[in-house]
Amino acid sequence: MISTLLGESVAILVDSHVEELLIKPLPSGHVYFHFQFTTKWDESLDQPDSFKHYGLFPKSLGDVLTTYKVQELHLSQTQGLWHHDKWGYPVTSAPPGAELWVWFQPTITNIDETWSELVNALSGHFCSSLNFLDSKSTVAPRWSFRPHGVASEGYSSFSRFIRYGALPREIVCTENLTPWKKLLPCNTKVGLGSLFKAIKLYDANYHSLGLHVRPVCRNSECKETSIELSQSLSVVFDPVTSNWSLKKIFGDFLSSRCPLTTSSKIFVDITSNLPDPIFTLSPEADSIKTVKRGDDTRQYAVYDIGLQTANGRVFNIASRYDKPLEYTDIVKPPVSAQRFITGYGLEKGGVTSLIYNNLDSNLTVIYMETLPWFTRFFYKSLTLSNQGTLVQPYKINYIPGKDRGRPYHLEIVFRLRANSVTKISYDFERAFLKWTEYPPDANHGFYIGSAILSTVLPTSVNYTTPPQYSTVLENSFKDDSESYFLRLHTETLLVSLPTPDFSMPYNVICLACTVVAIAFGSIHNLTTRRFTLLDPSKKKGILAKIKGLFKRS
Amino acid sequence: MAVSVVFCIIAGVICRLALFQTDLPIWLETKNEVVTPITAWERVEEGLALKKSMVSPYTGDVFHEVQPINSLIHLILFLKELSDFRTFLVLLKTIFTYSRLKSTPKMLHLDVKKYSVNVEDVLLKSKDLRSLPLIVVAVHVFNPYSISICLAKSTAVLSNLSIFIFIIRNIYKLDNLLLTTLFIAVSTYQSFYPFIFCLPVASYFYHVSFHSAAIIKHYIPSFGLFLFWFMLLLGISYSIEGSWTFLYSTYGFILNVPDLSPNVGVFWYFFTEMFEHFRVFFICIFQINSVIYSIPLAVKLKRSPVFFLYMMIFITSIFKSYPSYGDIGLCLSLLPLWKHTFSYMRNLFVVTCMYIVCTVFAPILYHLWIYAGSANANFYFAITLAFSAAQIFLVTDLLFAFLRREYDLYHGTNHKLENGKTTQVVLE
Repeated sequence: MISTLLGESVAILVDSHVEELLIKPLPSGHVYFHFQFTTKWDESLDQPDSFKHYGLFPKSLGDVLTTYKVQELHLSQTQGLWHHDKWGYPVTSAPPGAELWVWFQPTITNIDETWSELVNALSGHFCSSLNFLDSKSTVAPRWSFRPHGVASEGYSSFSRFIRYGALPREIVCTENLTPWKKLLPCNTKVGLGSLFKAIKLYDANYHSLGLHVRPVCRNSECKETSIELSQSLSVVFDPVTSNWSLKKIFGDFLSSRCPLTTSSKIFVDITSNLPDPIFTLSPEADSIKTVKRGDDTRQYAVYDIGLQTANGRVFNIASRYDKPLEYTDIVKPPVSAQRFITGYGLEKGGVTSLIYNNLDSNLTVIYMETLPWFTRFFYKSLTLSNQGTLVQPYKINYIPGKDRGRPYHLEIVFRLRANSVTKISYDFERAFLKWTEYPPDANHGFYIGSAILSTVLPTSVNYTTPPQYSTVLENSFKDDSESYFLRLHTETLLVSLPTPDFSMPYNVICLACTVVAIAFGSIHNLTTRRFTLLDPSKKKGILAKIKGLFKRS
Repeated sequence: MAVSVVFCIIAGVICRLALFQTDLPIWLETKNEVVTPITAWERVEEGLALKKSMVSPYTGDVFHEVQPINSLIHLILFLKELSDFRTFLVLLKTIFTYSRLKSTPKMLHLDVKKYSVNVEDVLLKSKDLRSLPLIVVAVHVFNPYSISICLAKSTAVLSNLSIFIFIIRNIYKLDNLLLTTLFIAVSTYQSFYPFIFCLPVASYFYHVSFHSAAIIKHYIPSFGLFLFWFMLLLGISYSIEGSWTFLYSTYGFILNVPDLSPNVGVFWYFFTEMFEHFRVFFICIFQINSVIYSIPLAVKLKRSPVFFLYMMIFITSIFKSYPSYGDIGLCLSLLPLWKHTFSYMRNLFVVTCMYIVCTVFAPILYHLWIYAGSANANFYFAITLAFSAAQIFLVTDLLFAFLRREYDLYHGTNHKLENGKTTQVVLE
């Protein structure tokens, strides 16, 4: 009895939960809020038997992970486009729509079948259309999506156990937020979760829900692994007048901290107050932290929610600008990308991506593109050029698409020259679909998912990212690594396809069959009958013919 | 005669070369009426580019040609170093057209003895036969359809070539069944439908053997040898490719009609608008429709196998899943072979008008639909339907004329009843 109790108490003790909020006033006048909830559970994903006593880790998700032998799972649901040139980099990049990529465990037998079962399970779980991620929109990237967490050697060499799919058309709304916030240990009752009022959240310029599960090192020796569940919510608001407060933006105060968390903090980026203060925060921060990371120095005002809400006080961070904010451009992000459709008409088309490198050093990047089957990619037309000279890529991984079966998948590894723009362009042909394959609003067009740019930056200017070993933001303050992994999603594209006339299937079937019948009838006539001389005397009237018919019988 | 034929060929080559200097080839290369997903030069280039980067061209859905064609084009591209590739294609085509015609009029009538008296008016005279090569060459080199596929660098040029060679074999090398079936196999290998030409070939060998054995004894070796050659070619493809996936990319693509890009045939819009649960049924019907005519024609035209062959070339080119001007060009170039039946044709004028109108309007309506957005798919569909109808009128009219002339040959040109009254000839 005692041992059982002890065992259970140990099981409760081995998971921890941290909630954080990073607030970053942007030079464009927008304010970026990044909520980060990290649950770490000292159990190993490859031992499904241990998934029995759940503490803070959500059971519904744990069941999905063990049933489908998931090693890593990354899901993002986003509404709106992140503007890199105006806002810098987000903490975690996500494309418009939904994106899911999963590493499976090597013990898996039929990966494609498991993937389709998994997307159906997740689709039900998160109320999104993830079940549309069938073979037509799923790829296995070779270089762009390496495991994020602890992974054995076997994963590094090949991409058999990964599946990636994106739904650029997916609309993200309240029904996606509700199941997502239910996974939080304190739900939305207390703590930072109590700020999630859908009516306010979906009024934002950019809104992104993230869910990432991966194995991480249990301790610094890294002999055993733990599971880390990271849930993030990024929102960018335009407060119209530059003054903002939690109450004004989320419609509520903070009145308590979630008692299940080990740490519950709010960080406000006040780097723009250096050297001259342009806004003042109230109440005053519990502490000011200066973080030097690589060549980037940032200053954060740190609030501990527990301290601020002690004795039943309500807590509201407000920022007041003493003089009107001067809208400025940010320091150009080191790498950014732009993508657009070229050409005209509904027959052919092209895509051009411009990739900017604003650094003084060369950079090796991986560019990944997934095109749906109905935009037939022409490999021969793929060109990479930098200021007029052709760039020879290091490696290309190209998997041609199949009609109604597989998308066109392209990964290119190449070098971005210092301070230059590299142009990637290619042509595609628009397919003619069957009338049943068009969506109800056929003339709206079809979406092409974001292209993805992956690289390792030598600098962290304008880039607040958690370190590789933990998604807890606070850990990034003590991170002393010198290179920073960056993933960038470009714009999604909208292409129109030629449409048939949806109103006349019967007419078309009738007309085409008539033409065939003309041929059949004429040839039948000419081959089964003989030429004879017409003898008028033998010609019988209709009446005689009918009589003859009766006589014979 | 020979001088004027050579002159004609030179004129044709010059005409093509001159047109190559204009913007016309670039325009034609993308025209749906001229190139199909199988024959488009752009897709061949894509296949080559994929091959170059060690990706099998058949893993994707852009390239549908058979493998050796790919290698052949590789070879031709090598020759490009020596002479302009386009000139090469033009020359190749014209040379074959000429050699084909040198040998065509050999045997059009074997059983002259059975003819009726006083049919001199409709008999084919040696004077007509002598002028025939010139006419066919002239029609071929100045046929806008042939010129268009040549300018668009469609690979239909190559499939037409293999059919040309096959016809020469059939007519010139009278007794060589082995080679004839090999060429049917080669054409079938490239474009599938020519397998049905086995029937006219069997019928032909039955005919030249003066009906010595039962006709079935000619069908069996024809089909047997054809199958042998065809399997051999597939085997070669397999050994090059290392897997059978190319079968789906080539013949599966022809039979299943997954690509619904507009063309001049009847398949594309029909299967765009088809209800999903009837699709398989109608695909079967339409594919059977393209070859089923061989059976009644084999019976009716057993005495004129060359005409039977021509009819089958024409009918499959109308009803194949991805027809283009390449197929029509071939049929129209060979049409003057039946010049002696033209006087019996009833609606040549209507058909000519339909051909002209459709050819002119097709690119206009396509532009209005795809680029201008002021028309919709139905406009272009109407044109392709009218074009198919024109071809059907032409082929059935030709069949009528041929049969009607045959009737006159055997029964005389004076149609008189026993009581001496002149009357009409009707189908009964």
